[in-house]
Amino acid sequence: QRGWLHSGPLLWLQYVDKNVKLKVGKHEEHRGWLLTVDPVSASVVLVNFREDGASVRVVMGHAVEDVEVLQESDPETAERLRLFLLPPTTSSLDP
Amino acid sequence: SSRSSAAPPSERPGERRVAEMKKLYGKDSAKILAMEAAMQLTFDRNCDRKQPKYWPVIPLKL
Amino acid sequence: SISTSAAEADAKELQREQRARSALRERFLRCLLTMTNKKVQFHMHEKVDVEATFGASDIDVLNFQVSDLHTPIGVQKEALIRCQDVISFTFDM
Repeated sequence: QRGWLHSGPLLWLQYVDKNVKLKVGKHEEHRGWLLTVDPVSASVVLVNFREDGASVRVVMGHAVEDVEVLQESDPETAERLRLFLLPPTTSSLDP
Repeated sequence: SSRSSAAPPSERPGERRVAEMKKLYGKDSAKILAMEAAMQLTFDRNCDRKQPKYWPVIPLKL
Repeated sequence: SISTSAAEADAKELQREQRARSALRERFLRCLLTMTNKKVQFHMHEKVDVEATFGASDIDVLNFQVSDLHTPIGVQKEALIRCQDVISFTFDM
């Protein structure tokens, strides 16, 4: 298996919007909805939604050991993740 | 770097980066380039103004 | 001819890869932007955990510029964190 750092954009894209389990180093494990993988650093962004917002964890590419899909993406979560990234509306932009 | 010194002297700085970005990001390269430029500008400006020092002084991981 | 269709297939593949790369990168850059001025917890090598206010990242993702860095031995008003030292970092939205 090729390392995570060298998997490439097409493979990384396959994990987007899915619920994944990330193996980090030897003993760490993190779960969440995969928002994106930075193609420059291979860093992974995981989102966990809560009632009042979301917590985000960014795992640096060099620390990622393994990624496993726990749950496929669904349209509702994909939309939540997409909205999550929209720039916040500011009053200065309002008419 | 060796790559930039190998460039013909007539080449303007930035042209090479535009070409590289085009190869990496295709049609969307202009958008990505603009987003990156804005982010790097913020980083450089903050570093100029605030003069941050590395922490920790010695890298944890070499 | 065979070579032409092979070249076309290559071009298609390259385009797919470029589209994937720009979609992923745009999402990541937007994520970094949303972190501006947020409290971020850095989990670093050697079991070092620190908190700071996020400023900006360089585009190569080598350094993070932060403020009010709470280190084990006190607060450093302005700091640069090497991304190589970081395992992961977290923040709330």
